[in-house]
Amino acid sequence: MHRYRFVLFRPLQFLPVLFGISVITFVLVRLIPGDPARILLGTRATPAAIANIRAQYGLDDPIWVQYLYFIKNLLAGEMGRSTLYKIDVLRLIGTRIEPTLALVGMGVLLALIIALPCAALSARRQGRIADHAVRLASTAGIGFPSFWLGAMLILLFSVRLGWLPVSGYGQGFADKLVHLVLPGLTIALSLSAVLTRSLRAGMIAGLQSDIATAARARGLPESAVFWHHVVPNALLPTVNLLAVNIGWLIGGTVVVESVFALPGLGQLMVRGIFTRDYMVVQGVALTFACATVLINFLADIVTVALDPRVEL
Amino acid sequence: MTPLLSITELSVAFRQNGIERLLLDRISLQLGKGEILGLVGESGSGKSLLCRTVIGLLPSRNLQVCGGSVRLEGSEILRDAAIDKIRGRRIGMIFQNPSSHLDPVMRIGRQICEGLALHRGLRGRAARCEAITLLDQVGFPDPAAAFASYAHEFSGGMRQRAMIAIALACDPEILIADEPTTALDVTIQAQILRLLMDLRAARGLSIILITHDLGVVAQTCDRIAVMRHGRLVEQGEKRALLAAPGHPYTRELIASHPALTSGDVPPLPSHGHARPIFEVNDLEVAYPGGGFLRRGTGFRALRGVSLQIWPGETVGIVGESGSGKSTLARTLMGLIPASAGSVAHDGEVLTLRHMAALRRLRAEVAMVFQDPFNSLNPRKTIGETLAEVLRSRGLTEPKRVSARIDELLDMVGLERSFASRRPRSLSGGQCQRAGIARALAVEPRVIIADECVAALDVTIQSQIVALFRKLAAQHGLTLIFIAHDLAIVRNLCARTVVMHRGEIVEDGPSAAVFDHPARDYTAALIAAIPDIDPDRPMNGGLSPTSQRELTT
Repeated sequence: MHRYRFVLFRPLQFLPVLFGISVITFVLVRLIPGDPARILLGTRATPAAIANIRAQYGLDDPIWVQYLYFIKNLLAGEMGRSTLYKIDVLRLIGTRIEPTLALVGMGVLLALIIALPCAALSARRQGRIADHAVRLASTAGIGFPSFWLGAMLILLFSVRLGWLPVSGYGQGFADKLVHLVLPGLTIALSLSAVLTRSLRAGMIAGLQSDIATAARARGLPESAVFWHHVVPNALLPTVNLLAVNIGWLIGGTVVVESVFALPGLGQLMVRGIFTRDYMVVQGVALTFACATVLINFLADIVTVALDPRVEL
Repeated sequence: MTPLLSITELSVAFRQNGIERLLLDRISLQLGKGEILGLVGESGSGKSLLCRTVIGLLPSRNLQVCGGSVRLEGSEILRDAAIDKIRGRRIGMIFQNPSSHLDPVMRIGRQICEGLALHRGLRGRAARCEAITLLDQVGFPDPAAAFASYAHEFSGGMRQRAMIAIALACDPEILIADEPTTALDVTIQAQILRLLMDLRAARGLSIILITHDLGVVAQTCDRIAVMRHGRLVEQGEKRALLAAPGHPYTRELIASHPALTSGDVPPLPSHGHARPIFEVNDLEVAYPGGGFLRRGTGFRALRGVSLQIWPGETVGIVGESGSGKSTLARTLMGLIPASAGSVAHDGEVLTLRHMAALRRLRAEVAMVFQDPFNSLNPRKTIGETLAEVLRSRGLTEPKRVSARIDELLDMVGLERSFASRRPRSLSGGQCQRAGIARALAVEPRVIIADECVAALDVTIQSQIVALFRKLAAQHGLTLIFIAHDLAIVRNLCARTVVMHRGEIVEDGPSAAVFDHPARDYTAALIAAIPDIDPDRPMNGGLSPTSQRELTT
């Protein structure tokens, strides 16, 4: 079990990373031109009222004091109030995080369901028609932007065929799932393209490896050689690729949620930027950054579980 | 009596773009029940390909069987669609490099159970019991623990045992062993060969043993078949063939075998009052271990090593893998810093006035590496590589560079036209000669050769050793020759240093070290070398490393 000891120690390494994240989000929001007090009170506020607000929110303090307040509030679970929704940012994020998580989960799941068979088909029939088709599709998948892909999927499955809802999130588990299919597919099509390429390369190398030769020499049928020996070894490098891509995806949900009108964090972020709701922007950015750190941590755990040689 | 396996007139060709090249040319060979057949030849002679063809695993689609037959107990298996019922089940195979042939992410036990389930229908507890019995048979001290372990948790020798257990799980009648001991230390090699012979005795297993080492064949096999350029040049009973080889190539192979008793070893030069070229005092080298928040104690590769090397000496440093011999060489070159103690080159301690001392060291000491291909820049011709050294060294006038390149090529026995060729178009032996030429271009006083013949065929090995001997004699070079092959050191070096677990265990004139080893460890190392004379059995029982085997 000592190989899993890093699960205890690794979070200590997060401290400097989290410190960096907090500094950057804090500074970025303060760099936005304009006086927050004036934004809060509107253009017709009296100078006295503005001064009052500035004192009340500590805006007259030096920036490092403000940062310390920021950290102190963060630790207490305070991320400030949204000026648009008039509620606490943390609670706001809490209500919006579920669609985003569900979307990313659905996207990754569909991507794996698409990528694994495609890569297997492609690798086992290398150089044949199926292989060329998969490679063409995966190149196309990387090439198409998700806003266009999403719109096309809506056009086909919702407008033309009427199988799936056009947009929105729905009520109840089954309804939500149905609403997530198209946005999930939009993410999955581009993600699976990346995964397929990596898996295919790993599988082709695996089929020619000494491990496969030794397995064949034992008389194992080709399918057992492939699924028992080639696939587990080809999965290893793909895990880290997937983790990096999920990090990307979280940013990518901003686009997909807008296209499908999903009430998630991405949409909240976009609305926050347009309405200068800085506390919301800051809170969502922090959440995204922490999520990325967490996903990489999970990827490390999965890597250790899959590969007995790895020690972290 | 019909032989168990009989190969007749087997030919395999490589076809690409309409060009056809015959890689196996009408091979005829027979293997009797319970027999061990040694298949000998240099790399590229087709011995591995022959065995791959027998079990229907041709390594490339461009290879095709173009004639002949392979019969197993009288029935043809060559174009049999049911070859996968024979592969593994009746003919098993083990390979040279167990590290790359074992699945790193599957437990050893599961890899054994795969074969048990497939070929013998054993599952669950029955399979587990049988697997543990097998692991016990091939010599795992704790078979139940080995069952649940992964390949990387074992040393090279134990991995080879695991691979044998996996092959035996299918209960084959024939085992093809493709260079099973080439990557192993001599003492471990002796244990694995002993295991194969025991298995033959216990199970009536027939074995085809592919090797380039005639000593291995002489010690283990009943019959020998010699291959060259895809042809079977000679085969026969072991003793008869070794005593009276019929084919000139067989004679050359036997002559190139580095025997332990050879007379013309240069005498130890007397060093009088000269200053030693290298003086090593109580040297310790440690590699740091652990990582963030987990400071390990590190691994001490060298412990308390003291050594003096005098001008004109030829010193062989021998030891098993992990004994620290390469670390010592690298520390002498100033490539690895000493953790404690000191290394002085020609009176200058390397750590003091570091840059100046290193500059002098690199001007006077040159290194030849183990892998001749990867230590030469593939994008440069041999001439460019040499010219680069000559220019940076600055001793040769720019006008004379090409003339000097010709001289260097002459010295190492390469034709002058090689200056315009790239490493890719050279054979291993030619590459190593180029590597030596590069070392000589420095005009060094000392050459450090790190396992520089280990990757070469025996015939090429003996040529390179002869070249070193000539260079040392003609140019008064000091030679530090690192090898795990004791016989080569015995032939080449006047002095032998034996290393074990980072310490020097014996140091003295080669004749004394080899004929009257003072330490048990040295004696065991020497005893484990397979002699080409079948009547002088190797001694695999005395293993100084059996303990280490279990712990690494």
